[in-house]
Amino acid sequence: MNNRLKVLRAERNWSQADLAERLGVSRQTVNALETGRYDPSLPLAFRIAGVFEQPIEAIFIAE
Amino acid sequence: MTPAQRPKRPFGLGTYLLMLVGLAVVGAVLGGGGALLGDRPGLFGLVLSFIPIAITMVIVGFVSIWWWRGIDEAAREAHKWAWWWGGSGGMALGAVVLITLTARDDVMTPASLGLSAADLVVGGMMTILLFQLAGYTIAWAAWWLKRR
Repeated sequence: MNNRLKVLRAERNWSQADLAERLGVSRQTVNALETGRYDPSLPLAFRIAGVFEQPIEAIFIAE
Repeated sequence: MTPAQRPKRPFGLGTYLLMLVGLAVVGAVLGGGGALLGDRPGLFGLVLSFIPIAITMVIVGFVSIWWWRGIDEAAREAHKWAWWWGGSGGMALGAVVLITLTARDDVMTPASLGLSAADLVVGGMMTILLFQLAGYTIAWAAWWLKRR
């Protein structure tokens, strides 16, 4: 699954560590999410949507 | 975002190392105690051997629960993947080695090795465990390396 995490994070000038702190996950997890090599659980996807204040479907794109 | 709103930070490398050191100390103290106390003959010695091992396992169990609750979902996924593929793969490989060796009477007999049957059972169990742990470690590292 593709996602716009890296773009959304860059727009806010957040580092991976900043985003990780906001989501309550490790920086390595943020990196795995951004590269599209790890798909988040539904609860984490909702947390990501909440942090970026966007609907889930605007962040994650089904391949 | 205020500190109160921030979600809990998952455990990092520092906590992991601290946990390993703590468990090593617990293992050394209880293992040493078990070795000293369990040296007595009969049922009393057996009970004194059993108690430190059981206490160690209970402590390891509680620490594992605490650790599991403190890591994030990707870290848990890595452990689950490593347990299934690495642990099972390691066990399969270890089984091939052990079954091959034990199937041939001219290679491995208690008499030829100077061991009792019980020694061989424990040795086989520990060999499989080592293969499992090696497979687990490799699979866990591969999971994270693939997602760097």
